[in-house]
Amino acid sequence: MIKSADFFTHAVQHTPKLLMALLILPVLGGLVGVLLPAFGYIPALNKMSFSLQGFNALIDTAGFSQMVLLSAFSALSSTLLAFIITILILACYFNSPWLYRIQRLLGPILVIPHAAAAIAISFLITPSGMISRLFSPWLSGWQSPPDWLLPHDAWGISMILGLTLKELPFLLLMALAALAQADLGAKLRAQHKIALSLGYCPMTAFFKVVLPNLYPFLRLPVLAVLAYASANVEIPLILGPNAPPTLAVAIMHWFNDVDLSLRIKASAGAVIQLLLTITLLAAWWLLEKLTKRVSQTSIINGKRDYAGQHIMRFTHVTTFILISCVVLSLAGLVLWAFAGYWRFPSSLPEQFVFMHWQNALIQMHTSLINTLLIGFSATFIAVIFTLFTLEAEQQRAQSLSRFASLVIYLPMLIPSIAFLFGLVWLQEQLNSQHALFNVIFSHLLFVVPYVFLSLASSYRRLDPRFANLAASLGATPASVFWRVKLPMLISPICIAFALGLAISFSQYLPTLLNGGGRIDTITTEAVTLASGASRRVSSVYALMQMLLPALAFALAWLLPKLLKHYQHKA
Amino acid sequence: MIVSKWLPAFLLHIHQSIILLLLAMLWVPSGLASDWQSVVDEGKNSDVYFHAWGGDPQINNYIDWLAEQVKQRYNINLQHIKLTDTSEAVSRVLAEKSAGNHHAGKVDLIWINGANFAAMAQHGLLRANWAQQLPNFALTNPDKNPAVTLDFGVPTQGMESPWGQAALTFYYDRTATKQPPFTLQELLNWSVDNKGRFTYPKPPDFIGVSFLKYALISLTPKSKQHLLYQAATEEAADVVLPHLWQYLDALHPNLWRKGRYFVSHSTALRRLMGDTELSLAMTFSAAEVPAAVKRYDLPTSIRSYAMHDGRLSNIHFVAIPYNASHSASAKLVANFMLSAQAQAKKQQANVWGDQTVLDLATLSPEQVALFNQTNTHPSSLKTTSNSPSLAEPHPSWVALINQQWLLRYGAKNAKNAKKQVEQ
Repeated sequence: MIKSADFFTHAVQHTPKLLMALLILPVLGGLVGVLLPAFGYIPALNKMSFSLQGFNALIDTAGFSQMVLLSAFSALSSTLLAFIITILILACYFNSPWLYRIQRLLGPILVIPHAAAAIAISFLITPSGMISRLFSPWLSGWQSPPDWLLPHDAWGISMILGLTLKELPFLLLMALAALAQADLGAKLRAQHKIALSLGYCPMTAFFKVVLPNLYPFLRLPVLAVLAYASANVEIPLILGPNAPPTLAVAIMHWFNDVDLSLRIKASAGAVIQLLLTITLLAAWWLLEKLTKRVSQTSIINGKRDYAGQHIMRFTHVTTFILISCVVLSLAGLVLWAFAGYWRFPSSLPEQFVFMHWQNALIQMHTSLINTLLIGFSATFIAVIFTLFTLEAEQQRAQSLSRFASLVIYLPMLIPSIAFLFGLVWLQEQLNSQHALFNVIFSHLLFVVPYVFLSLASSYRRLDPRFANLAASLGATPASVFWRVKLPMLISPICIAFALGLAISFSQYLPTLLNGGGRIDTITTEAVTLASGASRRVSSVYALMQMLLPALAFALAWLLPKLLKHYQHKA
Repeated sequence: MIVSKWLPAFLLHIHQSIILLLLAMLWVPSGLASDWQSVVDEGKNSDVYFHAWGGDPQINNYIDWLAEQVKQRYNINLQHIKLTDTSEAVSRVLAEKSAGNHHAGKVDLIWINGANFAAMAQHGLLRANWAQQLPNFALTNPDKNPAVTLDFGVPTQGMESPWGQAALTFYYDRTATKQPPFTLQELLNWSVDNKGRFTYPKPPDFIGVSFLKYALISLTPKSKQHLLYQAATEEAADVVLPHLWQYLDALHPNLWRKGRYFVSHSTALRRLMGDTELSLAMTFSAAEVPAAVKRYDLPTSIRSYAMHDGRLSNIHFVAIPYNASHSASAKLVANFMLSAQAQAKKQQANVWGDQTVLDLATLSPEQVALFNQTNTHPSSLKTTSNSPSLAEPHPSWVALINQQWLLRYGAKNAKNAKKQVEQ
């Protein structure tokens, strides 16, 4: 038995509890900080009694039901679309090298912050955007941009497109990560082969054999996507309608309104938002049960083919359109960032200039430093906490309780707009004046789940015999951890670090709210500039937003190789 | 007091006022100087968090220049907190007040006017009676220009110091439309011939509200215009607002996106002009237009002009919250903002082009010379254009117009769109 009284073991033992507290307290505290004003208790305005005034005001708001419907509709349809296309791509290219090619093409989108993706897509579909320029005037006859309602259409179609394009690579990556698990992947591939040899069409084989086993690994990511889509503000701000906007955007505006009594309504709205997200998650769960029930008989009915060829053709076309959208959006963004005069309908600018980069680089250095400082601090803390929690799990030889795993993913599932305002209030109560610290702390809440998600499987999969061998040779738990486990895990740790950085870089609402608007990052500036006057400057910021996480991942890929190289030499 | 026994009360009142006034004339100026010296001593070597809208790179660059200057003069670190909406700073100060933070506020200086000022003043969130103490405030010649102490008709009571003034300027794309509209009525006709080529930002955006106010003033008969300069009442609204809604009902179907979608921020207008989606737009800072052409954001065919039936004009200010951590330093910054050097720099078309609030008659010839500039960019506003200046209506009208506009055109939009789709 490991005899443990040293500092390391103590620290490790207490980390899971600390991590729980770190996640539960702000999230629940923040929820309370929103619930109280929602029911009329807001000492700042000398309102100390409880009432339903906020909810009444909310229901009386013109277009309130449309806001709720818009949020629900766009969240459900984009999640469903992203999920279906992910499954189709998996099914269609399950045994093809194309699966990894598509993954490589779409993968980079994963690290693109939502705001930047939304900016890129708005440049693509806007009436003077890349699509319209490519087809004008030779096909469309347009000499000046058409007056169509994209982006910002009342139905939220641009928004759905944005969310789908952005979330699809995430789901695909999650599915491939599950398939990369040696036992599961091998088992499913073998079963798929058997199904093929039994004469099943490859598509059918995937749906009947692979999907039922794969779906449990996709459930949490899908729910996270759904929760995010229902309550995010960046994409609706940039692509969504504004009369009325989605509920989350409306709440944000009410919180920031000059009319301070609107805060009660905003808090009531946040409560409704929370209920809405929970309802949507429940709806997905129901949908899942229903699909299971309906498909139960068809899975074992022995039918070999359901128009598989047509579905495959459809998938090829969809995938092609998807990838073209991505390539065109990025190309458009790059062109704008270097464009001189560029009158519609030319497909290329009249001249290319570096001026926009020069101007932007002069202005962005403070926000760049903030972005890096916040990202590295939050991610570093998150990685340490995650590693210690996972180590505690191994020392105790039992996995985290279901409750604990749920808590870790809490900030992913609870809409941030529902607790961040409360968290700001809480931080005010604690007189936490340090804006940068507040922002780092709030980023930590969002970085931890992703770092944990990314590290947990590699850590748990690590062969215990290495640790046992080292311990039997007399190594303390601390030196086993630092000198055996960490060096073996250097690659996944680097990837988790890069993922944490990417998540932190992309945070908009926590930076804005918890920093009191005092801390500018590349992302807050990019969102501000997206509604600004200059497409060119906006492109530069959006590209910067993409470059930063890309650099982080490049480093995460390169660093372990360099270390290895160095070790071999030494 | 002995006198009070035989002097009527009102006379006593006048009597006291005169004595006070005489006293004030005698010792206030010298008192000011020493007071100011103490402000300078206290305010040096500190940070100032300046919360100001940050959506325009030109203005941001000017604020960077201000920061360099106050760093040199007073070793003040002026930190520009870039807001997307000034109301963010208002809610911040309120949040601090609610948390009992009465002395260590995070906001030291706010760029503000209009409804945001009215809200902060009403909730007692601003420090009062400091603006007139600034030595450079005298350069605005407040006795002759009462406008520098009125914010949209509301007396500022020394809660804010004037920074600049602006007038509504229109600009159009000469390639897309040969002849722009010069009056509000012409705009309606023009919009029929140029469908989808004009829009205005939805309230509460500043430019959007300003356009509505310009339309309201232009549409209100001369005999009723006094109503706009008093607090808005329901009766007055019933008299003047129907003209506005009638006009907008006619105009909206011809607007960009058929009036179903309005941009939220005025900055989007310039982007849409750059995309050539719009052929006509407006701005409060005329100098942004030639500057944007130089930065390739607008095509070279853009021309600026002033409407012949009047230009809405207003002054914008800086204010200090009641709980600012560095109020003395903020005063130093506000005072420097009013210096001839800073105001002249700000008025240069290639810097910001924001009109000065100083009365040039109070300045020395050398200082006046700072303001001379040659303005030759083809896209800039011709200085020769003279159109009547329209004063801002009483601020209570803004809330009323906003609220009614949103009721009529805000939330309804989606419904209308749906109906049209169904049909």
